[in-house]
Amino acid sequence: MIFRPRYFFGETFTSLRRNFLMFFTAITTVAITLFIVGFFLIIIYDVQGVLASVKSQVEVAVYLKDNITVELKTYLENEIKGWNEVAEVIYVSKDAALEKFKTENAGSEILKEIQGNPLPASFEIRLKSPEKVDQIALRFVAKDGSYIEGVDEVIYGQNYVQKIFSITAIAGSIAFLIIIILLLAAVVLIFNTIRLSIHSRRKEIEVMKLVGATNWFVRIPFIFEGFFEGFVGRAISAVLLYFITNYLLIKGETALADTMHIKDLAILGSSNIMLYIYVGMVIIGSLLGVLSSAFALKRYVRI
Amino acid sequence: MNMIEFKNVAKVYEDKTVALKNVNLTIKKGEFVFLVGPSGSGKSTIIKLLIREIAATSGSIFVAGRNISNLKFSRVPQLRRNIGSVFQDFKLLPNKTVFENIAFALEVIGKPSYMIKVQVPQVLKLVGLEHKLVSYPHQLSAGEQQRVSIARAFVNRPPILLADEPTGNLDPVNSDGIMKLLSRINLIGTTVAMATHDRSIVNSMRRRVIELEEGEVIRDQKRGVYGI
Ligand SMILES: Nc1ncnc2c1ncn2[C@@H]1O[C@H](COP(=O)(O)OP(=O)(O)O)[C@@H](O)[C@H]1O
Ligand SMILES: [Mg+2]
Repeated sequence: MIFRPRYFFGETFTSLRRNFLMFFTAITTVAITLFIVGFFLIIIYDVQGVLASVKSQVEVAVYLKDNITVELKTYLENEIKGWNEVAEVIYVSKDAALEKFKTENAGSEILKEIQGNPLPASFEIRLKSPEKVDQIALRFVAKDGSYIEGVDEVIYGQNYVQKIFSITAIAGSIAFLIIIILLLAAVVLIFNTIRLSIHSRRKEIEVMKLVGATNWFVRIPFIFEGFFEGFVGRAISAVLLYFITNYLLIKGETALADTMHIKDLAILGSSNIMLYIYVGMVIIGSLLGVLSSAFALKRYVRI
Repeated sequence: MNMIEFKNVAKVYEDKTVALKNVNLTIKKGEFVFLVGPSGSGKSTIIKLLIREIAATSGSIFVAGRNISNLKFSRVPQLRRNIGSVFQDFKLLPNKTVFENIAFALEVIGKPSYMIKVQVPQVLKLVGLEHKLVSYPHQLSAGEQQRVSIARAFVNRPPILLADEPTGNLDPVNSDGIMKLLSRINLIGTTVAMATHDRSIVNSMRRRVIELEEGEVIRDQKRGVYGI
């Protein structure tokens, strides 16, 4: 068979003109779908980054009584270091605590009011598994509900860590669900466009079969059509995503980087995640176009 | 040489309608054959079997010596390129001109455009419509439309031309013109089989007649007439 690009392109564009509204809807759907998918992926990635950073910052602060003996302090320190869940224990002496307080509040009025050293010494415990923060904190509580000997107070992120975990888990599933629904909507719309286009060209198809056109000759214009819809849709979505990331999302990320010192971000970070997102959109867009047309053809162009 | 051969062919449609029972017939190269019989006797079924629009339930069908009964799907286009077919309803594309309608049939089987430009005017001359190149089907009479459809079926010079009631929608004058055209095509060496229930056409042509009744061949006569 001789390949006739002019014939195929001609047929493709004729049918696109005829079904312009459907064609427009399909392209818009692909564009919006892929844009939202890309947008969600960036957000999900950054939320993961924030979460990881929050997790690594989860720590248990164990404030010690001023009158604690050196033996008891050393005993507690060794004990804590022996726990599996613990990544690191830092002892902050009363003096160190005061120094830290002074540097953190340099130039503030509050410093003038401080007499002597009211700040307690403490252990700052970083955890390997931040989810276990509750259990660790409980180990400093005696059977009667008061703190164990030598410990004045234990402070940690309380419920808020757990809440963040469950919220991100739920948000993640919802985002995933939305992505799946959007992709399905795109498939259904492209499928319908091609079906309409097959319907509007059924006489041509009948004649083609009658005079002995091969199956592929009948199918190729429709496959072009699906490919073209996927292609234009994903080009539009890439442009949209490009502007959104460079004029909007990047501001959010800059704020995150400045205030929370998060380094692993989708746009600002050093990973290739944005490249993967764009490449992924090309792949998904092509698959949407080609799969939906293949599906439509299988059902409607039996020869 | 046998161009078409049916050996014990039966066709039962999905809904259990028995359209053909044990049909045997042979048509030689260059013959002109009428398939006659009342409506529902199985004429169109024979045509559809030959272009492999449907497959036989049992028996074998040979076209130009090749058994097409169990032809692979991928081989069907090749078969159809060797059989021109013409129908009662012309099957012309309304949004294409006469030239484009015929060119389309060549394009979709991959003919290069320089050949199309030569072949289309040639075949239109054969059917006497060389002056209607840029007309649309709705601008032509029914008889002219049927000529275009014959031109499309014959542009590739297939060895076999099948016509299923080609005069079914035409008045006697136009029918006569179509029959003259089919005779000419037959004279060039093309094997022609035409299904019809038009008594006067069959009687005036005096060609071979195969008569069907309820899916069976009940008569096969050289230089026959419609009824006995
Ligand atoms: N697609 C089909 N499905 C079921 N029955 C059919 C189909 N096509 C034709 N028939 C039946 O097969 C018989 C022969 O039909 P056909 O070959 O069209 O006859 P003719 O062309 O001689 O009028 C008729 O009884 C008809 O109703
Ligand atoms: Mg019929």
